[in-house]
Amino acid sequence: MEGFATVSTSTGCVFNIQHYSVHDGPGIRTIVFLKGCPLRCRWCCNPESQIAAPELAYNPNKCIGSSECHRCKDVCPTGGISVGDNGKIVIDRTRCAACFQCVEACPSKAMHVFGREMSVAEVIKIVEADNAFYSRSGGGLTISGGEPLMQPAFTLELIKESLRRRIDVTIETCGFADWQHLAEVARHLKLILFDIKSLNAEKHKSYTGVSNERILANFKRLRSEFPDLHILVRIPLIPGLNDTEEEIAEILGFLQGMQNITYELLPYHRMGQSKYEFLGRPYPMADVKLGDERAKALKDWARATYPGAK
Amino acid sequence: MAECCAVLSPHEQRLQEEMAGKCQDFGRPRAFGILREIITKKPKIDIERAKYFTESMKTTEGQPLMLRWAKAMRHIAENCTVYIDDNQLIAGRVGKQGRYGILYPELDGDFLDLAIEQLPNRVESPFEITPEDARVIIEDVAPYWKGKTYHEALAKALPNETLKLTYDPKDPLKSRFIVNETSSFRSSIQWVHDYEKVLQRGLKSIKEEAQKKLAELDPLSPVDQMDKATFLQAVIIDCDAIIHWAKRHAALALEKANVETDPKRKQELLDMAERCAWVPENPARNFREAVQSQWFIQMWSRVEQKTGTIISNGRMDQYFYPFYKKDVAEGRLTDQDVLELLECMWVGMAQFIDLYISPTGGAFNEGYAHWEAVTIGGQTKDGRDATNELTYLFLKDKREFPLHYPDLAARIHTRAPERFLYEVAETIKEGSGFPKLINDEEVIPLLLAKGAKFEDAYDYAVSGCSECRMPNVETYTSPCAYINFPAALEMTIYNGKMKLQGDEIIGLQTGDPRTFKTWDEFWNAYLAQHTNFLKHAFIQQHIINNLRGKHFAWPLGTMLNDTCMNAMMDIHQPHIPNGIDLGYFELMGYGTLVDSLVVIKKLVYEDKKLSMDELIRAMEANFEGNEVVRQMVANAPKYGTNDEYADAIAKEIDRKCLEFTRKYSKELGIHLDLRLVPFTSHVPFGKVVSATPNGRKAYTPLSDGASASQGCDAKGPTAVLISNYNTKNYDFRERAARLLNIKFSPVTMAGEEGTRKLVSFIKTWCDLKLWHIQFNVINKATLLAAKKDPEKYRGLIVRIAGYSAYFTDLSPDLQDDLIARTEHTTV
Repeated sequence: MEGFATVSTSTGCVFNIQHYSVHDGPGIRTIVFLKGCPLRCRWCCNPESQIAAPELAYNPNKCIGSSECHRCKDVCPTGGISVGDNGKIVIDRTRCAACFQCVEACPSKAMHVFGREMSVAEVIKIVEADNAFYSRSGGGLTISGGEPLMQPAFTLELIKESLRRRIDVTIETCGFADWQHLAEVARHLKLILFDIKSLNAEKHKSYTGVSNERILANFKRLRSEFPDLHILVRIPLIPGLNDTEEEIAEILGFLQGMQNITYELLPYHRMGQSKYEFLGRPYPMADVKLGDERAKALKDWARATYPGAK
Repeated sequence: MAECCAVLSPHEQRLQEEMAGKCQDFGRPRAFGILREIITKKPKIDIERAKYFTESMKTTEGQPLMLRWAKAMRHIAENCTVYIDDNQLIAGRVGKQGRYGILYPELDGDFLDLAIEQLPNRVESPFEITPEDARVIIEDVAPYWKGKTYHEALAKALPNETLKLTYDPKDPLKSRFIVNETSSFRSSIQWVHDYEKVLQRGLKSIKEEAQKKLAELDPLSPVDQMDKATFLQAVIIDCDAIIHWAKRHAALALEKANVETDPKRKQELLDMAERCAWVPENPARNFREAVQSQWFIQMWSRVEQKTGTIISNGRMDQYFYPFYKKDVAEGRLTDQDVLELLECMWVGMAQFIDLYISPTGGAFNEGYAHWEAVTIGGQTKDGRDATNELTYLFLKDKREFPLHYPDLAARIHTRAPERFLYEVAETIKEGSGFPKLINDEEVIPLLLAKGAKFEDAYDYAVSGCSECRMPNVETYTSPCAYINFPAALEMTIYNGKMKLQGDEIIGLQTGDPRTFKTWDEFWNAYLAQHTNFLKHAFIQQHIINNLRGKHFAWPLGTMLNDTCMNAMMDIHQPHIPNGIDLGYFELMGYGTLVDSLVVIKKLVYEDKKLSMDELIRAMEANFEGNEVVRQMVANAPKYGTNDEYADAIAKEIDRKCLEFTRKYSKELGIHLDLRLVPFTSHVPFGKVVSATPNGRKAYTPLSDGASASQGCDAKGPTAVLISNYNTKNYDFRERAARLLNIKFSPVTMAGEEGTRKLVSFIKTWCDLKLWHIQFNVINKATLLAAKKDPEKYRGLIVRIAGYSAYFTDLSPDLQDDLIARTEHTTV
């Protein structure tokens, strides 16, 4: 791959590359998660995706503890790391200079940095390793985030390079993006995964930090200007935000009459909770849950009521 | 969670679980009822085979071995008890009712007396034996065999340097699990008969063939009159013995019918009597006769010899098909009848317990695992897809009947029909991981490269764990060496010693690695130990090849093999003209070895994060109090994660093995091919290896087959496949099976979509020309185990739409939440 002189040299901040993904687009896919998101969804299961810059995480479960190891503390140039009462590490994030020497020093990977600058070539090489799976399954690359359009140039280059290598590619977007960026990307895609959370502007702002106006405007424009682009609308089912038939009906009603659209409801789960702890942040959803029964009932109801369920 | 072949999960336990929860009988109460009956019974030892075999052998000393064997078979056939079980549709078993094991004193007679005394008190899998039977073994059977068994002769024949890598020199019964021979706890490697020959021709025709050949022998030729004539007489005697044994069942069925009051059962017994009078002597005339005939041959194989991990069933969906088709067309047989008959066979198989007396044999086959692999799918002799209606009935039965017998193997090729792949995927999803898959696109070209004809290569059958047999062409039945390469690494680190053996120098003295300045120096020292193991494995095998024919014969296996019949030689003879001899040697602990070498190369020599001394001290302390070192090594690159660094070393290890065998197996006249198929032996092999540089604790299991080290498959299933592909040396025909177990969580397989993706995963595996794959569907038990023991399950990823996480990173209540969800999603 390095031999291809034409591969773009642009880089982007990637926080995860996940192989064998079977739920995010057709076939067996690799998901490249880009860092940075304009939204702050309370239920976000990837809190490490939100801030654009690389970010330090600390997993106390993996930490050996200060009785045997305090290498992170020893290397920290700002004195931001101390030992807590339980023998584990305490990070004063206000003093973190993001040098990540502690990550390098940590033998157990309890210290981890979310986000790494990677070139298009590096990412594509990892993605292409699973090529054999894509060709058999109709899978490929899904660029997700965060919000991929926070890094529009990198996203575009990744898309172009994938297509040049005949790798199917799609992106998952929250829709809160500059129209020009969205349009430039959409021109190359056959499918886009577009999240719609709520049609209620106030609630949307309260739960995600931004209003939905721009998102819905982008959505409508995308639909009218790219009629051949298949849109998979992903609706997270979030307790308090949209977990009623009325609220889901609003979203699905909004989609009615639009062509070339399918939708899926993704029930809220708390799997990201521990990462909030690793990043030193509170979990915004506290202990709210969505019952399996409730989720299933809503999905069944939607499927029975509105066409286009995935 | 099952290790290795999924059948290995403790069988009794699984049965009980299944039966407790899942009592639906799909309208076939008969076999379900028998199953319920047998699982509660404690296994018994049946001594008849050992007793009559020994009685006969005492009277035939000095005669040619195959003839002696045939006469012993005749003696057993005439005297053993014959059985017809209540409610069974198939007649015959080779031991007491309920679950039973039988004895092979030719293998272990010299210590059988001691073993029998201990057997009922054994903690794991105890066996019952009556005091009278124990007396017969101790007084009549065992004494005869002392000084006569194969393993005694082998221990004497091994040169000292080889012996000390093989056995404890003071007690040759104790394997060292270093360069381990596997030929003394079984008479042959797992094998497959050409069952079709019996069904289509009948034993009568084989007997006639032998009689005709006998008549045509040169009356003046000493070879013809001695070797060939006795061979042919043995075939005739053995055919007669089996036919006689079958007919005794016919008589018993009639007897039972006469006193049976239930008219339905009476008719069943009369039909059974008719079948047993006809097969296997004559060609089967219908499906029911074909099943009975196959069963007689399968059962009698067990009497003739202990075929290592048992005699496989071959391509059942092929050789039964003509009978099925005809009977269905003529309205004599329904699919439900077929399933009931097959289930009657499966419960019969489950009752036979592959009893190992030898401690090494027991260690190799934990839980008395046996794999009577049934092969389905694949291609016909002329290279067309071979699936038929029966293929799908086998899959349906595996989904419905809650038993781990038989082991089901599906042959996959690039033109396999979508329906087949989908039903295979659906069956895998049912939870038990069956069927395992074998790849025609890898196996067939290799068989061709080793000299097979197309029609034989296309017609191979899966045998045992992951081997493939051409039942009329292959003639090499010798079990081969299992080589503990992590032990070679231990000897590199401790200058020829192993911690378990104290100060004894077992390997080469390659120097103290603390003095090695470069990786190359270390690598060369390792290679010296590695090559020394191979050298002794091949010496061992050379001796074994020449010794086995003096101790074992197998009239039945021989007469069903065209090549042996043409050569008129028993299949245990070292070289049969025109036979293809596919032997192997086993690379044990691949992942453990590679990950350890990565640590040394990268952390010690390249990154210099660790000194060799620090590493060795941590290993000597079993990483206790050395958590920093342990974490460092645990976080180094791993095999099985599509990591270029680790895979480069792995490929080189694979290549070094292949180069050795390319050079030296020629002079042995056989193909000793590289194989990565441990069955459960990665556990006992681990028990002799102290802590390894990859952070593995002392005496814990080695990595299994071609799978990543425990807990290291952290990059998901595609990476494990790609790593396997990247580390294979496709330019060598000297490669053979790689066994690959892969974990899948039910959520990734859920629904129609999940099935579709599993199918494309299987197709990609086929494209990559990987030999074998078996899926472990992660169930609730796995998640519970992972919660309890997170170290072992570091690689366990749980995936939900749009999200995935390492299970062990989740908080306890989230783990519980997932455990609860898994309950719903497990199919």
